[in-house]
Amino acid sequence: MLEWARPGDRSREFEDTALVHLDILYRSALRLTHNRAEAEDLVQEACLRAFRGFHRFNPGTNCRAWLLTILRNEFLKRLKKGGHEVLDSDPGDRQRGATSATDAGRPRGHPEEEFLQTVLHGDVDRALKALPLAHREVVILADLEGLSYKEIAQVVDCPIGTVMSRLSRGRAHLRDLLGRLAREHGYVKEPG
Amino acid sequence: MNCIEFEARLHPYVDGELEMTDMAAADAHLAQCAECQGRMEQERQFRQLLRRQPRESAPPEFRALIRARVRRSARVAAIRPWLLGTAAAAAVLLVMSLLPGLRPGQALITDLVSKHITYTQIEQPAEFASQDARAVEAWFRQRAGLRVTVSDYSPSGIRLVGGRLAEADDHKAAYVLYEKGHTLMSVFLVPASAPAAALKGTRVSYRGHDYLTLERKGYNTVAWTDGKAVFGLVSMLGYDALLECADKLRLDRAQRFGA
Repeated sequence: MLEWARPGDRSREFEDTALVHLDILYRSALRLTHNRAEAEDLVQEACLRAFRGFHRFNPGTNCRAWLLTILRNEFLKRLKKGGHEVLDSDPGDRQRGATSATDAGRPRGHPEEEFLQTVLHGDVDRALKALPLAHREVVILADLEGLSYKEIAQVVDCPIGTVMSRLSRGRAHLRDLLGRLAREHGYVKEPG
Repeated sequence: MNCIEFEARLHPYVDGELEMTDMAAADAHLAQCAECQGRMEQERQFRQLLRRQPRESAPPEFRALIRARVRRSARVAAIRPWLLGTAAAAAVLLVMSLLPGLRPGQALITDLVSKHITYTQIEQPAEFASQDARAVEAWFRQRAGLRVTVSDYSPSGIRLVGGRLAEADDHKAAYVLYEKGHTLMSVFLVPASAPAAALKGTRVSYRGHDYLTLERKGYNTVAWTDGKAVFGLVSMLGYDALLECADKLRLDRAQRFGA
Protein backbone atom coordinates (compact mmCIF):
# COMPACT_ATOMS: atom_id res chain seq x y z
CA MET A 1 0.00 0.00 0.00
CA LEU A 2 1.24 3.42 -0.87
CA GLU A 3 0.83 4.92 2.60
CA TRP A 4 3.03 2.19 4.08
CA ALA A 5 5.87 2.89 1.67
CA ARG A 6 6.88 6.13 3.39
CA PRO A 7 7.41 4.88 6.93
CA GLY A 8 9.37 1.97 5.46
CA ASP A 9 11.60 4.38 3.56
CA ARG A 10 12.13 6.39 6.70
CA SER A 11 13.15 3.38 8.78
CA ARG A 12 15.41 2.11 5.97
CA GLU A 13 17.10 5.49 5.76
CA PHE A 14 17.57 5.44 9.53
CA GLU A 15 19.03 1.94 9.37
CA ASP A 16 21.47 2.95 6.64
CA THR A 17 22.54 6.21 8.26
CA ALA A 18 22.28 5.59 11.98
CA LEU A 19 22.14 1.89 12.77
CA VAL A 20 25.52 1.38 11.09
CA HIS A 21 26.83 2.96 14.31
CA LEU A 22 25.08 0.45 16.55
CA ASP A 23 28.36 -1.20 17.61
CA ILE A 24 29.89 1.97 19.03
CA LEU A 25 26.62 2.76 20.83
CA TYR A 26 26.58 -0.75 22.24
CA ARG A 27 30.18 -0.67 23.43
CA SER A 28 29.85 2.82 24.88
CA ALA A 29 26.67 1.85 26.74
CA LEU A 30 28.38 -1.24 28.14
CA ARG A 31 31.30 0.84 29.37
CA LEU A 32 29.02 3.49 30.85
CA THR A 33 26.65 1.12 32.65
CA HIS A 34 28.84 -1.97 33.28
CA ASN A 35 25.67 -4.00 32.94
CA ARG A 36 24.61 -5.75 29.76
CA ALA A 37 20.85 -5.64 30.32
CA GLU A 38 21.02 -1.99 31.30
CA ALA A 39 23.25 -1.20 28.33
CA GLU A 40 20.89 -2.90 25.89
CA ASP A 41 17.93 -1.08 27.34
CA LEU A 42 19.82 2.20 27.09
CA VAL A 43 20.82 1.61 23.47
CA GLN A 44 17.29 0.61 22.58
CA GLU A 45 15.84 3.77 24.09
CA ALA A 46 18.52 5.93 22.47
CA CYS A 47 17.85 4.37 19.05
CA LEU A 48 14.12 4.91 19.30
CA ARG A 49 14.64 8.47 20.45
CA ALA A 50 17.02 9.05 17.59
CA PHE A 51 14.52 7.57 15.15
CA ARG A 52 11.71 9.75 16.44
CA GLY A 53 13.97 12.80 16.14
CA PHE A 54 15.58 11.70 12.88
CA HIS A 55 13.89 14.56 11.01
CA ARG A 56 16.02 16.91 13.12
CA PHE A 57 19.25 15.21 12.07
CA ASN A 58 21.02 17.23 9.43
CA PRO A 59 22.24 14.84 6.70
CA GLY A 60 25.90 15.31 6.01
CA THR A 61 26.69 16.16 9.64
CA ASN A 62 28.23 13.71 12.06
CA CYS A 63 25.65 11.01 12.72
CA ARG A 64 27.92 9.04 15.07
CA ALA A 65 28.37 12.05 17.38
CA TRP A 66 24.67 12.85 17.16
CA LEU A 67 23.74 9.32 18.26
CA LEU A 68 26.31 9.25 21.05
CA THR A 69 24.91 12.55 22.32
CA ILE A 70 21.45 11.02 22.51
CA LEU A 71 22.82 7.93 24.24
CA ARG A 72 24.70 10.04 26.77
CA ASN A 73 21.70 12.27 27.50
CA GLU A 74 19.55 9.22 28.08
CA PHE A 75 22.21 7.74 30.36
CA LEU A 76 22.47 10.96 32.40
CA LYS A 77 18.70 11.15 32.65
CA ARG A 78 18.61 7.64 34.11
CA LEU A 79 21.42 8.41 36.54
CA LYS A 80 19.58 11.46 37.76
CA LYS A 81 16.36 9.48 38.10
CA GLY A 82 18.21 6.89 40.15
CA GLY A 83 19.41 9.62 42.49
CA HIS A 84 23.06 9.30 41.45
CA GLU A 85 25.49 12.15 41.29
CA VAL A 86 25.64 13.38 37.73
CA LEU A 87 28.70 15.06 36.26
CA ASP A 88 28.43 17.96 38.69
CA SER A 89 31.84 19.21 37.77
CA ASP A 90 35.09 17.99 36.40
CA PRO A 91 36.70 16.23 39.36
CA GLY A 92 40.05 17.46 38.12
CA ASP A 93 39.12 20.98 39.08
CA ARG A 94 39.47 20.05 42.72
CA GLN A 95 42.92 18.55 42.34
CA ARG A 96 44.30 20.85 39.70
CA GLY A 97 47.85 21.74 40.41
CA ALA A 98 48.37 18.77 42.70
CA THR A 99 50.10 16.68 40.08
CA SER A 100 51.12 17.26 36.55
CA ALA A 101 48.77 15.34 34.29
CA THR A 102 51.45 13.49 32.45
CA ASP A 103 53.38 12.54 35.57
CA ALA A 104 50.48 11.36 37.64
CA GLY A 105 50.27 7.66 38.12
CA ARG A 106 53.33 6.68 36.20
CA PRO A 107 54.98 3.86 38.10
CA ARG A 108 58.24 5.58 38.66
CA GLY A 109 61.46 3.70 38.33
CA HIS A 110 60.12 1.12 35.90
CA PRO A 111 60.41 1.16 32.17
CA GLU A 112 57.13 2.06 30.49
CA GLU A 113 57.28 -1.11 28.41
CA GLU A 114 57.32 -3.25 31.53
CA PHE A 115 54.32 -1.45 32.96
CA LEU A 116 52.32 -1.68 29.76
CA GLN A 117 53.07 -5.35 29.30
CA THR A 118 51.66 -6.17 32.69
CA VAL A 119 48.21 -4.84 31.86
CA LEU A 120 46.00 -7.91 31.81
CA HIS A 121 42.88 -8.53 29.83
CA GLY A 122 40.04 -6.78 31.65
CA ASP A 123 42.32 -4.43 33.59
CA VAL A 124 41.51 -1.46 31.39
CA ASP A 125 37.78 -1.95 31.83
CA ARG A 126 38.24 -2.41 35.56
CA ALA A 127 40.29 0.77 35.81
CA LEU A 128 37.88 2.71 33.58
CA LYS A 129 35.07 1.75 35.90
CA ALA A 130 36.85 3.54 38.73
CA LEU A 131 37.23 6.80 36.80
CA PRO A 132 34.81 9.64 37.50
CA LEU A 133 32.20 9.81 34.74
CA ALA A 134 33.46 13.14 33.38
CA HIS A 135 36.85 11.54 32.75
CA ARG A 136 35.64 8.08 31.83
CA GLU A 137 33.43 9.23 29.00
CA VAL A 138 36.09 11.31 27.25
CA VAL A 139 38.73 8.58 27.59
CA ILE A 140 36.31 5.98 26.18
CA LEU A 141 35.39 8.20 23.24
CA ALA A 142 38.94 9.33 22.44
CA ASP A 143 41.13 6.35 23.25
CA LEU A 144 38.90 3.34 22.87
CA GLU A 145 36.65 4.61 20.08
CA GLY A 146 38.93 7.07 18.31
CA LEU A 147 36.67 10.11 18.19
CA SER A 148 38.23 13.49 17.44
CA TYR A 149 38.27 16.29 20.04
CA LYS A 150 35.61 18.09 18.02
CA GLU A 151 33.31 15.08 18.01
CA ILE A 152 33.80 14.53 21.74
CA ALA A 153 33.06 18.20 22.42
CA GLN A 154 29.78 17.76 20.56
CA VAL A 155 28.86 14.59 22.45
CA VAL A 156 29.67 15.86 25.93
CA ASP A 157 28.50 19.36 25.10
CA CYS A 158 31.51 21.37 26.25
CA PRO A 159 34.36 23.35 24.66
CA ILE A 160 37.31 21.54 23.07
CA GLY A 161 39.62 23.00 25.73
CA THR A 162 37.57 21.27 28.43
CA VAL A 163 37.68 18.00 26.50
CA MET A 164 41.47 18.30 26.34
CA SER A 165 41.94 18.96 30.03
CA ARG A 166 39.53 16.17 31.00
CA LEU A 167 41.30 13.80 28.66
CA SER A 168 44.66 14.69 30.08
CA ARG A 169 43.55 14.13 33.66
CA GLY A 170 41.45 11.10 32.77
CA ARG A 171 44.41 9.41 31.10
CA ALA A 172 46.70 10.23 33.99
CA HIS A 173 44.18 8.80 36.42
CA LEU A 174 43.69 5.71 34.28
CA ARG A 175 47.43 5.18 34.11
CA ASP A 176 47.64 5.48 37.85
CA LEU A 177 44.91 2.89 38.32
CA LEU A 178 46.50 0.52 35.81
CA GLY A 179 49.80 0.93 37.63
CA ARG A 180 48.12 -0.07 40.87
CA LEU A 181 46.53 -3.11 39.24
CA ALA A 182 49.94 -4.09 37.86
CA ARG A 183 51.39 -3.87 41.35
CA GLU A 184 48.51 -5.95 42.69
CA HIS A 185 49.29 -8.61 40.10
CA GLY A 186 52.83 -8.51 41.40
CA TYR A 187 54.33 -7.84 37.99
CA VAL A 188 55.61 -4.44 38.97
CA LYS A 189 57.26 -3.79 42.28
CA GLU A 190 56.13 -1.00 44.55
CA PRO A 191 58.02 2.14 43.67
CA GLY A 192 60.75 2.54 46.25
CA MET B 1 59.35 25.23 21.23
CA ASN B 2 60.89 24.34 24.59
CA CYS B 3 60.16 21.38 26.89
CA ILE B 4 57.47 23.19 28.87
CA GLU B 5 55.67 24.24 25.70
CA PHE B 6 55.92 20.73 24.29
CA GLU B 7 54.63 19.21 27.53
CA ALA B 8 51.52 21.38 27.22
CA ARG B 9 50.94 20.04 23.71
CA LEU B 10 51.89 16.42 24.33
CA HIS B 11 48.36 14.99 24.25
CA PRO B 12 47.10 16.80 21.16
CA TYR B 13 50.42 15.98 19.49
CA VAL B 14 49.99 12.25 20.07
CA ASP B 15 46.30 12.50 19.20
CA GLY B 16 47.15 14.20 15.89
CA GLU B 17 45.09 17.21 16.90
CA LEU B 18 47.76 19.93 16.71
CA GLU B 19 47.64 22.68 14.14
CA MET B 20 50.12 22.29 11.29
CA THR B 21 52.47 25.02 12.56
CA ASP B 22 52.44 23.65 16.13
CA MET B 23 53.00 20.17 14.79
CA ALA B 24 56.07 21.29 12.87
CA ALA B 25 57.44 23.12 15.90
CA ALA B 26 56.82 20.06 18.10
CA ASP B 27 58.57 17.79 15.60
CA ALA B 28 61.52 20.15 15.55
CA HIS B 29 61.69 20.09 19.36
CA LEU B 30 61.43 16.29 19.50
CA ALA B 31 64.27 15.94 17.02
CA GLN B 32 66.60 17.58 19.49
CA CYS B 33 65.15 16.55 22.90
CA ALA B 34 65.51 12.90 23.85
CA GLU B 35 63.59 13.34 27.09
CA CYS B 36 60.47 14.73 25.38
CA GLN B 37 60.87 12.12 22.65
CA GLY B 38 60.79 9.45 25.36
CA ARG B 39 57.68 10.91 26.98
CA MET B 40 55.97 11.12 23.64
CA GLU B 41 56.78 7.45 22.94
CA GLN B 42 55.38 6.41 26.31
CA GLU B 43 52.21 8.34 25.67
CA ARG B 44 51.91 6.77 22.24
CA GLN B 45 52.34 3.28 23.66
CA PHE B 46 49.70 3.97 26.26
CA ARG B 47 47.29 5.01 23.49
CA GLN B 48 48.09 1.85 21.57
CA LEU B 49 47.35 -0.24 24.63
CA LEU B 50 43.93 1.39 24.92
CA ARG B 51 43.23 1.01 21.21
CA ARG B 52 44.06 -2.68 21.43
CA GLN B 53 41.21 -3.30 23.87
CA PRO B 54 38.63 -5.77 22.55
CA ARG B 55 35.96 -4.03 20.51
CA GLU B 56 32.75 -5.88 21.16
CA SER B 57 30.02 -5.73 18.53
CA ALA B 58 26.30 -5.65 19.20
CA PRO B 59 25.01 -9.26 19.12
CA PRO B 60 23.08 -10.10 15.92
CA GLU B 61 19.87 -10.80 17.83
CA PHE B 62 20.10 -7.40 19.54
CA ARG B 63 20.69 -5.73 16.18
CA ALA B 64 17.62 -7.51 14.82
CA LEU B 65 15.58 -6.38 17.82
CA ILE B 66 16.56 -2.75 17.31
CA ARG B 67 15.68 -2.96 13.61
CA ALA B 68 12.30 -4.47 14.43
CA ARG B 69 11.56 -1.80 17.03
CA VAL B 70 12.49 1.00 14.66
CA ARG B 71 10.29 -0.48 11.94
CA ARG B 72 7.44 -0.86 14.37
CA SER B 73 7.92 2.70 15.53
CA ALA B 74 7.74 3.81 11.89
CA ARG B 75 4.43 2.00 11.46
CA VAL B 76 2.97 3.52 14.64
CA ALA B 77 4.12 6.96 13.48
CA ALA B 78 2.36 6.36 10.18
CA ILE B 79 -0.89 5.40 11.88
CA ARG B 80 -0.86 8.38 14.23
CA PRO B 81 -1.78 11.20 11.80
CA TRP B 82 -4.43 8.99 10.30
CA LEU B 83 -5.77 8.28 13.76
CA LEU B 84 -5.87 11.96 14.64
CA GLY B 85 -7.14 13.17 11.31
CA THR B 86 -9.80 10.68 10.26
CA ALA B 87 -13.29 10.90 11.60
CA ALA B 88 -13.78 7.18 11.03
CA ALA B 89 -10.94 6.26 13.37
CA ALA B 90 -12.23 3.87 15.98
CA ALA B 91 -10.31 4.90 19.05
CA VAL B 92 -12.26 4.23 22.19
CA LEU B 93 -11.26 5.13 25.68
CA LEU B 94 -13.28 3.81 28.57
CA VAL B 95 -12.83 5.08 32.09
CA MET B 96 -14.20 3.41 35.16
CA SER B 97 -13.58 5.06 38.48
CA LEU B 98 -13.93 3.38 41.84
CA LEU B 99 -11.69 5.07 44.42
CA PRO B 100 -12.91 7.91 46.63
CA GLY B 101 -11.55 11.35 46.10
CA LEU B 102 -11.49 11.51 42.35
CA ARG B 103 -13.24 14.43 40.69
CA PRO B 104 -13.83 13.31 37.14
CA GLY B 105 -14.51 16.63 35.54
CA GLN B 106 -13.21 18.00 32.28
CA ALA B 107 -9.62 17.75 33.52
CA LEU B 108 -9.88 13.99 33.98
CA ILE B 109 -11.37 13.44 30.55
CA THR B 110 -8.68 15.67 28.99
CA ASP B 111 -6.02 13.74 30.91
CA LEU B 112 -7.35 10.41 29.69
CA VAL B 113 -7.55 11.59 26.12
CA SER B 114 -3.90 12.68 26.40
CA LYS B 115 -3.00 9.30 27.89
CA HIS B 116 -4.81 7.51 25.12
CA ILE B 117 -2.84 9.50 22.54
CA THR B 118 0.40 8.77 24.40
CA TYR B 119 -0.26 5.04 24.71
CA THR B 120 -1.13 4.68 21.07
CA GLN B 121 2.29 6.15 20.26
CA ILE B 122 4.47 3.94 22.43
CA GLU B 123 5.99 0.68 21.30
CA GLN B 124 4.03 -1.71 23.47
CA PRO B 125 0.89 -0.07 24.79
CA ALA B 126 -0.25 -3.33 26.42
CA GLU B 127 1.83 -4.60 29.35
CA PHE B 128 -0.18 -7.81 29.27
CA ALA B 129 -1.10 -8.84 25.75
CA SER B 130 -4.07 -11.16 25.28
CA GLN B 131 -7.18 -11.41 23.13
CA ASP B 132 -8.96 -13.19 25.95
CA ALA B 133 -11.15 -10.77 27.96
CA ARG B 134 -11.20 -13.09 31.00
CA ALA B 135 -7.41 -13.40 30.96
CA VAL B 136 -7.03 -9.60 30.93
CA GLU B 137 -9.52 -9.29 33.80
CA ALA B 138 -7.56 -11.92 35.75
CA TRP B 139 -4.32 -10.04 35.10
CA PHE B 140 -5.73 -6.81 36.58
CA ARG B 141 -7.05 -8.75 39.57
CA GLN B 142 -3.72 -10.42 40.27
CA ARG B 143 -1.52 -7.49 39.41
CA ALA B 144 -3.35 -4.69 41.22
CA GLY B 145 -6.42 -6.15 42.86
CA LEU B 146 -8.66 -4.31 40.40
CA ARG B 147 -12.02 -5.77 39.43
CA VAL B 148 -12.09 -4.66 35.83
CA THR B 149 -14.83 -5.62 33.41
CA VAL B 150 -13.38 -6.22 29.97
CA SER B 151 -16.10 -6.26 27.33
CA ASP B 152 -15.88 -8.33 24.20
CA TYR B 153 -16.45 -6.07 21.22
CA SER B 154 -15.24 -8.60 18.66
CA PRO B 155 -18.71 -8.94 17.01
CA SER B 156 -18.28 -5.22 16.09
CA GLY B 157 -14.84 -5.94 14.68
CA ILE B 158 -13.03 -4.44 17.68
CA ARG B 159 -10.31 -6.84 18.80
CA LEU B 160 -8.92 -6.92 22.35
CA VAL B 161 -5.16 -6.29 22.48
CA GLY B 162 -4.40 -6.34 26.21
CA GLY B 163 -4.14 -4.27 29.38
CA ARG B 164 -1.76 -2.09 31.33
CA LEU B 165 -1.69 -0.21 34.61
CA ALA B 166 -1.84 3.52 34.18
CA GLU B 167 -2.29 6.62 36.29
CA ALA B 168 -4.98 9.24 36.00
CA ASP B 169 -5.58 12.17 38.30
CA ASP B 170 -2.88 10.73 40.62
CA HIS B 171 -4.77 7.48 40.95
CA LYS B 172 -3.90 4.04 39.77
CA ALA B 173 -5.91 3.27 36.66
CA ALA B 174 -6.49 0.22 34.52
CA TYR B 175 -6.11 0.59 30.80
CA VAL B 176 -7.50 -1.88 28.29
CA LEU B 177 -6.47 -1.67 24.71
CA TYR B 178 -8.50 -2.69 21.68
CA GLU B 179 -7.81 -2.49 18.01
CA LYS B 180 -10.09 -1.99 15.05
CA GLY B 181 -8.16 -2.53 11.84
CA HIS B 182 -5.10 -0.31 12.13
CA THR B 183 -6.71 1.80 14.78
CA LEU B 184 -6.03 1.35 18.46
CA MET B 185 -8.84 1.57 20.95
CA SER B 186 -8.21 2.08 24.65
CA VAL B 187 -10.07 1.31 27.86
CA PHE B 188 -9.16 2.88 31.21
CA LEU B 189 -10.21 2.08 34.75
CA VAL B 190 -9.44 4.67 37.41
CA PRO B 191 -10.51 3.36 40.80
CA ALA B 192 -12.50 6.24 42.41
CA SER B 193 -16.00 7.29 43.41
CA ALA B 194 -17.62 10.49 42.31
CA PRO B 195 -21.04 12.03 42.30
CA ALA B 196 -22.78 12.29 38.95
CA ALA B 197 -22.83 16.06 39.37
CA ALA B 198 -19.02 16.14 39.11
CA LEU B 199 -19.17 14.96 35.53
CA LYS B 200 -19.19 17.65 32.90
CA GLY B 201 -20.65 17.54 29.42
CA THR B 202 -23.87 17.44 27.45
CA ARG B 203 -26.44 15.09 28.91
CA VAL B 204 -27.53 12.34 26.49
CA SER B 205 -29.98 9.48 27.08
CA TYR B 206 -29.35 6.10 25.42
CA ARG B 207 -31.40 2.91 26.01
CA GLY B 208 -32.77 4.26 29.24
CA HIS B 209 -29.44 5.44 30.71
CA ASP B 210 -27.90 8.88 31.01
CA TYR B 211 -24.42 9.68 29.65
CA LEU B 212 -22.38 12.85 29.42
CA THR B 213 -20.66 13.71 26.18
CA LEU B 214 -17.67 16.00 25.74
CA GLU B 215 -15.28 16.62 22.86
CA ARG B 216 -11.56 16.93 23.63
CA LYS B 217 -8.60 17.20 21.21
CA GLY B 218 -10.71 15.89 18.37
CA TYR B 219 -11.98 12.89 20.33
CA ASN B 220 -15.57 12.30 21.33
CA THR B 221 -15.97 11.26 24.94
CA VAL B 222 -18.82 9.60 26.78
CA ALA B 223 -18.81 9.39 30.58
CA TRP B 224 -21.14 8.05 33.22
CA THR B 225 -21.21 6.91 36.81
CA ASP B 226 -23.06 4.22 38.72
CA GLY B 227 -22.32 5.81 42.10
CA LYS B 228 -19.44 3.44 42.88
CA ALA B 229 -17.65 3.95 39.62
CA VAL B 230 -17.24 6.55 36.95
CA PHE B 231 -16.99 5.39 33.36
CA GLY B 232 -15.71 7.40 30.48
CA LEU B 233 -15.36 6.60 26.84
CA VAL B 234 -13.33 8.59 24.33
CA SER B 235 -13.15 7.97 20.63
CA MET B 236 -12.97 9.43 17.17
CA LEU B 237 -15.99 7.33 16.33
CA GLY B 238 -19.38 8.98 16.22
CA TYR B 239 -21.39 9.13 19.41
CA ASP B 240 -23.71 6.33 18.21
CA ALA B 241 -20.89 3.79 18.21
CA LEU B 242 -19.48 5.10 21.48
CA LEU B 243 -22.82 4.91 23.22
CA GLU B 244 -23.26 1.34 22.00
CA CYS B 245 -19.87 0.37 23.45
CA ALA B 246 -20.75 2.17 26.68
CA ASP B 247 -24.09 0.38 26.89
CA LYS B 248 -22.43 -3.01 26.36
CA LEU B 249 -19.90 -2.31 29.11
CA ARG B 250 -22.63 -1.19 31.46
CA LEU B 251 -24.60 -4.40 30.77
CA ASP B 252 -21.51 -6.60 31.19
CA ARG B 253 -20.71 -4.98 34.52
CA ALA B 254 -24.28 -5.30 35.73
CA GLN B 255 -24.25 -9.00 34.84
CA ARG B 256 -20.90 -9.56 36.52
CA PHE B 257 -21.39 -7.54 39.69
CA GLY B 258 -25.19 -7.27 39.80
CA ALA B 259 -25.01 -3.48 39.82
